[in-house]
Amino acid sequence: MKQKLTNRFGWINENNIVENDGRLTVTVAPDKLTEVAAFLKECGYDFLVDMVGMDYGDSLGVIDYVARGADTSDLIALKTSVPDREHPLIPTVSGVWRVAQIYEREVHDYFGIRFIGNNDMRRLFLRESWKGYPLRKDYDADPNINPLPLENEPIADMDTIPVYGIDADGKETVTYRPMYGDDDYVVNIGPQHPATHGVLHLRVALDGEIVRSVDPHFGYIHRGIEKMCEGYTYPQILHLTDRLDYLSGIMNRHAFCLCCEKALQMDVPERAVVIRTIFDELTRIASHLIGWGSICNDMGAITAFMYGLRDREKIMDIFEETAGGRLMAAYDVIGGVASDLHPNFRRRVKEFIPYMRKMLHEHHLLFSANPIATGRMKGVGHLSLEQAIALGITGPSGRASGWKNDLRKAEPYAAYGKVDFDEVLRQDGMTFDRYIIRLDEIEQSLRIIEQLIDNIPEGPYAEKVKGVIKLPEGDFFQRVENARGQFGVHITSRGDKTPYRVKFRSPSMVLVEALKDVAPGGKVADLIMLGGSFDYVIPCIDR
Amino acid sequence: MWSFEKLTEWIDTSLRSCMSADGALLVEFVLIGIAILVGYALLALFLIYAERKICAFFQCRLGPNRVGKWGIFQSVADMIKILLKELIQINKSDKMLFRLASFFVIIGSVCTFGAIPFAKGLQAIDFNVGVFYILAISSLGVVGILLAGWSSNSKYSMIGAMRSGAQLISYEISAGLSLMVIVVYSGTMQLSEIVAQQADGWFIFKGHVPAFIAFVTYLIAGHAETNRGPFDMAEAESELTAGYHTEYSGIQFGFFYLAEYLNLFIIAAVASTMFLGGWQPLHIPGWDGFNHVMDYIPSFLWFFVKTCFCMFMAMWVRWSFPRLRIDQLLGLEWKILMPICLINLILMSVVVIL
Amino acid sequence: MKVLNYIKNIFVGLWHLCQGMYVTMLNFCRPKVTLQYPENRGTREYGERFRALLTMPHDADNHHKCIACGMCMNSCPNGTITVVSKMETDTVTGKPKKVLDKHLYNLGSCIFCGLCTSACPTGAIRFSNEFEHSVFTKDRLLLQLNRPGSSLAPKPAPNTQTAKQDVGKPVENVATKTV
Repeated sequence: MKQKLTNRFGWINENNIVENDGRLTVTVAPDKLTEVAAFLKECGYDFLVDMVGMDYGDSLGVIDYVARGADTSDLIALKTSVPDREHPLIPTVSGVWRVAQIYEREVHDYFGIRFIGNNDMRRLFLRESWKGYPLRKDYDADPNINPLPLENEPIADMDTIPVYGIDADGKETVTYRPMYGDDDYVVNIGPQHPATHGVLHLRVALDGEIVRSVDPHFGYIHRGIEKMCEGYTYPQILHLTDRLDYLSGIMNRHAFCLCCEKALQMDVPERAVVIRTIFDELTRIASHLIGWGSICNDMGAITAFMYGLRDREKIMDIFEETAGGRLMAAYDVIGGVASDLHPNFRRRVKEFIPYMRKMLHEHHLLFSANPIATGRMKGVGHLSLEQAIALGITGPSGRASGWKNDLRKAEPYAAYGKVDFDEVLRQDGMTFDRYIIRLDEIEQSLRIIEQLIDNIPEGPYAEKVKGVIKLPEGDFFQRVENARGQFGVHITSRGDKTPYRVKFRSPSMVLVEALKDVAPGGKVADLIMLGGSFDYVIPCIDR
Repeated sequence: MWSFEKLTEWIDTSLRSCMSADGALLVEFVLIGIAILVGYALLALFLIYAERKICAFFQCRLGPNRVGKWGIFQSVADMIKILLKELIQINKSDKMLFRLASFFVIIGSVCTFGAIPFAKGLQAIDFNVGVFYILAISSLGVVGILLAGWSSNSKYSMIGAMRSGAQLISYEISAGLSLMVIVVYSGTMQLSEIVAQQADGWFIFKGHVPAFIAFVTYLIAGHAETNRGPFDMAEAESELTAGYHTEYSGIQFGFFYLAEYLNLFIIAAVASTMFLGGWQPLHIPGWDGFNHVMDYIPSFLWFFVKTCFCMFMAMWVRWSFPRLRIDQLLGLEWKILMPICLINLILMSVVVIL
Repeated sequence: MKVLNYIKNIFVGLWHLCQGMYVTMLNFCRPKVTLQYPENRGTREYGERFRALLTMPHDADNHHKCIACGMCMNSCPNGTITVVSKMETDTVTGKPKKVLDKHLYNLGSCIFCGLCTSACPTGAIRFSNEFEHSVFTKDRLLLQLNRPGSSLAPKPAPNTQTAKQDVGKPVENVATKTV
């Protein structure tokens, strides 16, 4: 690839292309960005994994992580930066990768970078009247600048969409386009609504029962976790990862630990690796049970939701015994796990596996062949393979469209390389496929646990780490497969005990973005069900 | 078998002995009105409790268990809460229609309730067109639902009401056609007469295959008419939060709530009256000893056990299945249920002619 | 053929619906999973590692193991812990020594991440199972972990490894509440 890039672009030389840890990092000037992006896409790099906004102090920039859709482990970082802090203008790559549209909105919100040509440059999490860009290093956090509003404010900034352009003199221009026509019947689904899986606000334009357009509005539970991380030491950040996607907290924590361990070039004891894998899979089962239950609940079968919760409770009890926490297990630590396995752990997991198999059979009987359920889910909510890759929809939802993107197979981390399991794929990309794939993945997770539970090696459960952990200078990126897709952690370290910049790639954000493309044309009921089948978790988006 | 007629006649004669005939009639009307309203409210309390408990059992839970032993006073506590709640006025709503809507719903349901033969000799209204009356008056509720959705100035309510309008009008047809099967078989529309004809065998057994099919289709259509899952399109809590009664609070909401449960009871009661013999005990021709024993069981018990069985079926279905989509709901009615009902009616006519 | 399919679909659909109803009926008859909370006090077993309340165990002589090093305070992400120390003259050596005055713990902001207990070099603090935290005012969540008049255990403090091992034992001591 390096060769290809240098051949194609004469100006690329040793200075702006670096190979590090098996990953190419290409630094380009903003005006060359679109060109390089388009070339990368031609070469098969059609999956934009993540976009990280950066404040380098003297300049603002973005790092785009792109991967090949055919092999998601093949990663290239594309870096660009502008020195102008007042009017930072970077051309958009949303024409190349569809998902860049929302990533650029996020970077715009945090850093104030204007992406020329992106046709939706509203702020993503903060309200339009917010002063300052919080993730810039010179941001003034004085509460008097952005006082807490105590009065009811209308969301007036949601009716028009700003689009940034550049005029003949190279000056920044901004135009506004209206969002809704006069005959749009706009219904607010959320922020308080039984089917939004958290505090999500969808503004749905309806034509009778038919959905015309969907506009997700984020930020209702935004906590500024990425900003908080910059003031925390690495072990302290760990507890925040549990609070992103709370249903796969253990896997998120695993990702952050792996990222730090990679930076420190630390070897984790084999015992800890296996334990982490078992915990990941238990979490995945728990999360899929909730996912299964909530899609059933969204379709009106509340009983199924209760069954899902009932079975998940068994896993929570196992977590409680060994890790000391149920939802916030706080189990993985840098260098291993927080405590050794409880003596009962093995027995309880072994009891759980046949129980879960039996229940899985019942779940299938109850719902998978039910003519009402299949009638509603089959042939509805089609997400094509191309759309899935363009939107970066990983995880079960992407695999339901036939995209092989399981990192456990593509880039085996932890003990996944040693176990035998199938990557469940389905081809149709309908709501039903996204539903059934979750139950099938539970079965695969059970297989993984079954193979590991009797083969937990003896030895220490954690590597000794220093009291103060300092990562070496550099950019580090690590992904794991969590229950909703690829969860990524980007750390930029300057050698301090706190990171310079932390960015989490949330698999849920693109899932909500996909509603924009998939929902129109369906009915309101289909939209709700679609939300259930994508199974997004809002706190992961509103970091 | 003991008949309630003795009781009502005794009341009648004792009233007439101490006042004029018109006065006695007036007092009787008032008494019946009070009895029906009290029965209505008590039944609703029982049904709400039963629904919550049964739902919980289906979901591996215990259900209400804090107020009283096994939580039996839970619905009383709920009732007190609902009576004490503030009636919230919605801005820019049509206040008159908004208030009227809940009364439409509850009046439709109480009027139907009055026409049901609860036990031998215990029936308030016994028209010679009883079946027709039940069908007519029970569809008054849809007016209330449409009004509620229209007047509350809320988009959820509006969508819910429109769905419900389409749904109720469609399913009315199947419900009516299924009852027609029995009307054709029995040759009368009078409920007391229909019950009386089932003394030697319930229609579901006597009426051959068409009666059984009609029973099933009536349960489905009736279930849809009560707006309960899997046909709760009008409420659709995961889509429209609470559908047509999203904006209601306090006792106005309480009326909708009561009507929903009582409509369930009414559908079950009509089903048991028309198909399962109403208050008639189970009689098997030829088994005289058995029939004699069955006669000792009071008639109202027979009626309530049959009705409870139908209601349990309804709850079982509700807590097992997901909700249909509106187009599928209408498709089920117009493409499957109605053709079946029509064919069934012809089949029954053939059976009667032969 | 079309008609046959139509009829077949109806029956297949009904069969699957019946299967669904069979599953719910199965669960109707099963024992229920609800735990009745206040009634099951004392009978429900919690994982012994379950993190619910930070405590400082004291022995029979009112001794604790805290050496007032402040590691827990520094490791806490939320500023939940405040260690107030005072200088005291050691009775044996006669030198001035830092000892614990107050170990203040704000339960209201604790997120139970466990960083403090794993940072503690002497195993002086640990999480107990007591999870019934509801109180009427916020300031009742401000706890002082060391008991009044308590002091450091005279024996040399055990090292971290042994401290971690006895995490599993039940905790008798509960934090004394201030105010």
